[in-house]
Amino acid sequence: MNDKLSRRKFFAAVGAGGVAAAAAAVVANKGSDERQAETGQAGRQGQGYQLTEHVRRYYETTKV
Amino acid sequence: MARMKFLCDAERCIECNGCVTACKNEHEVPWGVNRRRVVTLNDGLPGEKSISVACMHCSDAPCMAVCPVDCFYKTSEGVVLHDKDLCIGCGYCFYACPFGAPQFPQDGAFGMRGKMDKCTFCAGGPEADNSVAEFKKYGRNRLAEGKLPACAEMCSTKALLGGDSDVIADIYRNRVLKRGKGSEVWGWGTAYGKPEKGATPPAGAKS
Repeated sequence: MNDKLSRRKFFAAVGAGGVAAAAAAVVANKGSDERQAETGQAGRQGQGYQLTEHVRRYYETTKV
Repeated sequence: MARMKFLCDAERCIECNGCVTACKNEHEVPWGVNRRRVVTLNDGLPGEKSISVACMHCSDAPCMAVCPVDCFYKTSEGVVLHDKDLCIGCGYCFYACPFGAPQFPQDGAFGMRGKMDKCTFCAGGPEADNSVAEFKKYGRNRLAEGKLPACAEMCSTKALLGGDSDVIADIYRNRVLKRGKGSEVWGWGTAYGKPEKGATPPAGAKS
């Protein structure tokens, strides 16, 4: 009897873990879709132009 | 959102080809492919003008319109890029481009054309930023490194301007205002207009 109960508990725990993993995967996918929408390239483009100190210095040199 | 553009100041360009060399070196472009080149009008005559030409990353790019496999795409910053895995090397883009930007490396014997190669505004391609695969196909991705195209940064007289179109337009406008000339080489009148009445082109001039 005790064996049966512990087996039930075991499968219940495995089931709960599976549901949690699936939920985590859905959330992760949603995050990546949002990032793709921000770049507008559906995963084709990463980080683009940034107004860094290097770029600022270049703009300054063109004003000479 | 910043839009990337090139602009060459013909009053400053001294035809040194530093931009061409910088591009070749930065991206290890193969022999026979010139992503950028310097064009001189009325070479050797008084008043000759030089401009550095590459892909102009057109707002309504004709290469994108004619590509039969739709390998071109545009980034959110207006940089026109292409996917070499999709390109079939047909050459339609070469005929469509008014600047002769698309280049085709020789692939095998008898002048067989390889996949198209062109200026990427130093923004790489569809592969992961600064990956080995991206470098092999498209060269360095300087934009992702927080830099601007090597040609523009290397230009000794800062004739070739590259970057945020709002910023470089402002820089160019200030130059023209300061020296009182120099914008004549640009515009529809220059590209497609007829010569002004009474004006005679210099002997041996070609356009």
